[in-house]
Amino acid sequence: MRLTYWMYEGTAHHGVGRIANSLKKVHAVFHAPLGDDYTLPIHTMLERTPDFPHATTSLVTGRDLAQGTNRLPLTLKQVEARFKPELIVVCASCSTILLQENLQQAIDTADVQTPVMLYDANPYRMTETESSDRLFTTLVRRFAKAQPLTERPSVNFLGPISLGFHVRSDVIAMRRMLNVLGIELNVIAPLGASLSDLERLPAAWLTIAPYRETGQEAARFLEREFGTPALLETPIGVEPTLRWLRKLVEMINEIGARKGAKPLQMPPLQAFSLDGLSAPSSLPWFSQTADMHSFSQKRAFVFGDATRTVAIVKLLRDEIGAQIAGAGTYLVKHADWVRKELEGYLPDELLVTEAFQDVAKRIEAERPDIVCGTQMERHSCRKFDIPCMVIAPPTHIENHLLGYYPFIGFDGADVIADRIYTTAKLGLEKHLIDYFGSAGLDDENDEKSAKSSTSSITVPKEVATSCTESNTSKQECRSQNEGFNADAQTKQSTGTATEANAARTEVEWTEDAQRLLKSVPFFVREKAKRNIEKYARENALWLITPEVVRKAKEHIGA
Amino acid sequence: MQNDHTIIREDNAIHSFCGLASVGWLYQKIRNSFFLILGTHTCAHFLQYALGVMIFAKPRFAVAMLEEADLSKDYVNLKPILEEIKADHHPSVIFLFSSCTPEVMKVDFEQLARSLSTPELPVLFAPASGLEFAFSQSEDSVLQALLPFCPIAEPSDKRVVFLGSVNDAIADDFRREAEALGIPVAGFLPENHLRDLPPIGAGTIVAPLQPYLAKVAMRISRERGAKVLSSLFPFGPDGTRQFWEDLAKEFGMAVNLREREAAAWERIRKHTELLKGRRVFITADSLIELPLARFLKSAGAEIAEVSSVYINKKFHAKELECLRGVRIVEQPNFHRQVSDMQVQPPDLVITSLMTANPLIGKGITVKWSMEFVLMPLHGWSGTVSLAELLTRPLLRKAHLPEFDASVWTMNAMPSSA
Repeated sequence: MRLTYWMYEGTAHHGVGRIANSLKKVHAVFHAPLGDDYTLPIHTMLERTPDFPHATTSLVTGRDLAQGTNRLPLTLKQVEARFKPELIVVCASCSTILLQENLQQAIDTADVQTPVMLYDANPYRMTETESSDRLFTTLVRRFAKAQPLTERPSVNFLGPISLGFHVRSDVIAMRRMLNVLGIELNVIAPLGASLSDLERLPAAWLTIAPYRETGQEAARFLEREFGTPALLETPIGVEPTLRWLRKLVEMINEIGARKGAKPLQMPPLQAFSLDGLSAPSSLPWFSQTADMHSFSQKRAFVFGDATRTVAIVKLLRDEIGAQIAGAGTYLVKHADWVRKELEGYLPDELLVTEAFQDVAKRIEAERPDIVCGTQMERHSCRKFDIPCMVIAPPTHIENHLLGYYPFIGFDGADVIADRIYTTAKLGLEKHLIDYFGSAGLDDENDEKSAKSSTSSITVPKEVATSCTESNTSKQECRSQNEGFNADAQTKQSTGTATEANAARTEVEWTEDAQRLLKSVPFFVREKAKRNIEKYARENALWLITPEVVRKAKEHIGA
Repeated sequence: MQNDHTIIREDNAIHSFCGLASVGWLYQKIRNSFFLILGTHTCAHFLQYALGVMIFAKPRFAVAMLEEADLSKDYVNLKPILEEIKADHHPSVIFLFSSCTPEVMKVDFEQLARSLSTPELPVLFAPASGLEFAFSQSEDSVLQALLPFCPIAEPSDKRVVFLGSVNDAIADDFRREAEALGIPVAGFLPENHLRDLPPIGAGTIVAPLQPYLAKVAMRISRERGAKVLSSLFPFGPDGTRQFWEDLAKEFGMAVNLREREAAAWERIRKHTELLKGRRVFITADSLIELPLARFLKSAGAEIAEVSSVYINKKFHAKELECLRGVRIVEQPNFHRQVSDMQVQPPDLVITSLMTANPLIGKGITVKWSMEFVLMPLHGWSGTVSLAELLTRPLLRKAHLPEFDASVWTMNAMPSSA
């Protein structure tokens, strides 16, 4: 048992709902108490579905349990009448699975014509991602039928899913690239696919499944069962996209050769740009420019699912030329793959945890220049005043924006680079401030940065600052402060270990030393302060004088 | 006398949240409290999405999450978790919420709460699981858990206790309004602090502010001999007038607030003119449906149907009386409701978060029911907000350009992508 109030992943039944809501004419029925369909507003509110999501709760009440009533047969009938699905998927919830009921028997007694599949999604053994991927694979196994390949070169695109991360834009980006190559999309699944589309999967020349989380198992199955080759690499970043395109063309031509088809040619690269006249991505030149030299010193911390964590670490180091301060994933079952992919990229062990507090602690200790994380990291970073961009699910209303913001392909590389640039603090501006001082910004920041004469940071003030700084609602500020105001002991943020240590060793600053510290530009002051204190502690210099500051600067080279 | 009123009862195939949802407003209301839910991953994920924990990140509620290994244990050890909460939050009271899984496991919550409780830090059990409780109903459980902390008032202590969690501004309004009418106020259940809970005894008049507190009201009258005011709930000019007049009557005063009511209607005239003759359909979600329907009816709207998860013929008696002739459904079937709406489209549907956008997608004008629970809409001062909430979707729809769903929702459904 553990105490928790924020989850990276939803429950198994949410994964079932995401698959049902992706597919045409498939409906999920949750055998569950009132409220377990709280997952429906995630679809209707975040994804803004103009139709009812394909999921219904077959209500289990305390009275039903006492009387031995099972409403499942009735619900199946109602769902059949109202939604007219081609397949109903039934699953239990975390409470009803303990009842050890024979749901198959209940299904068998239901007077429905629609095929009903009982899906065993044990919520204590698997969560959202695994549950949805396994269900998808099960459906592909059940419906895919052997058949001749399409006349023209074609692919399946497996992996896009309801509530997926920037998935709508990714689908557009993928269509654009395939159009340029002259490759047809046989089936996209699960997003928008019907059961007859699943049947047609083996007609494709090959399967692309770029997301580790969804679709790769199904792609492997199609390869094993029907000999459809699978391209499992992820085209995120310019270099990976180029490699991916070449490999795709190569694989298509291999199959084409067997069919005696004319080989595909890799078109000139500008064909992949939006106007057909420009570089397909601006990222390579952007990284060459003088403005971006400062990124060589920027340290990035990356945390997310498997696919995006790997892709973003590589993009940051290989293409932006930033340093990697560390990385991690909450997908424990994919951690080995992530570790292997990132061999040689990370300064230390991959962080593998489902507890956001661990991630926050790590970020606080590392003080990276930029964090690429989930919505939770964005929130943690606001407290630490570290810039953060969101690169991975869980989905959030901000991941369902109206514009075209893909992550894959050349278009995706530009979107990601833009976000990194606008998220990280000051490029050229930073140099100018280094040379010419802070141009008055310092005074403005005095109030919020130079807080007190003691070394410990008072979190409430930080919170208050971050609230006034950004356009956060009053509600949010109130709630945040409320959480912190019990008394001094609770003022620590989630990552308390380092602060507690600092407090025990009691490093003090003299006024002169503090004045000296103020001469450090505000945006690196916090970091300088930490480094100096670290140096002081290591050398048992408990009172930080200007002399100690100078020594520390020499020592650290700051 | 109102028992002849027909309430249709269906099979409860509804969309709503479970009882855990009340944590969202109660943790803010009861200061220095902590709400601990013994539950599962599902409960935690629900709170995260439904209550927007993503935004405030360190709220005073959390889930003690049962994992697979915990299912086979014959006891639940919450001590370490309690220590963690104490160290981080220093609460002065902990509410222990049940949820579906431990209820199926037959965890003895009463015993569990007793074993964790100390005089310095009471741990109070509040049943809240979706097996028994909808959305707002668990506030009833929390207030029942608080009842023993209300001192016993002398029978001669004749004062009013307002029942139901309202924000400080509304509480202030009610206190001042009562005093202006000469009604002595003992306090509110709940108050902001455990130590401030009002004394309740045989002389107390309990005035319910929220329509989802039937059980605690009954219990107060049973255990303390207090009298529960039977009136309308103080929403809208009609409800507010009735509420105060009936309450004054309990204190031997004949108060006539007709003029005040008329003035309040006048203030919202441009809204009521818009509502007049409109067909409004209310699906079951938050339990605030009956007073809402009554206000709408008084404002001149036609109620196509009002449905609620739970209707208590005694507690809701006066509201039901005002709704005579209106189609009222308890534990409705949402499938049936949708087909009714398609046969005869209402002008406005008040419905849950999960069903709002899909109904808009069908061309129906919609208002979220949850807002009526979370917004301060009580009394004279809440009247304008109440009216505005109801007319905003109508005005907005009239304001926006003609909408052709076949064009502008193309591919918007994931399964049509």
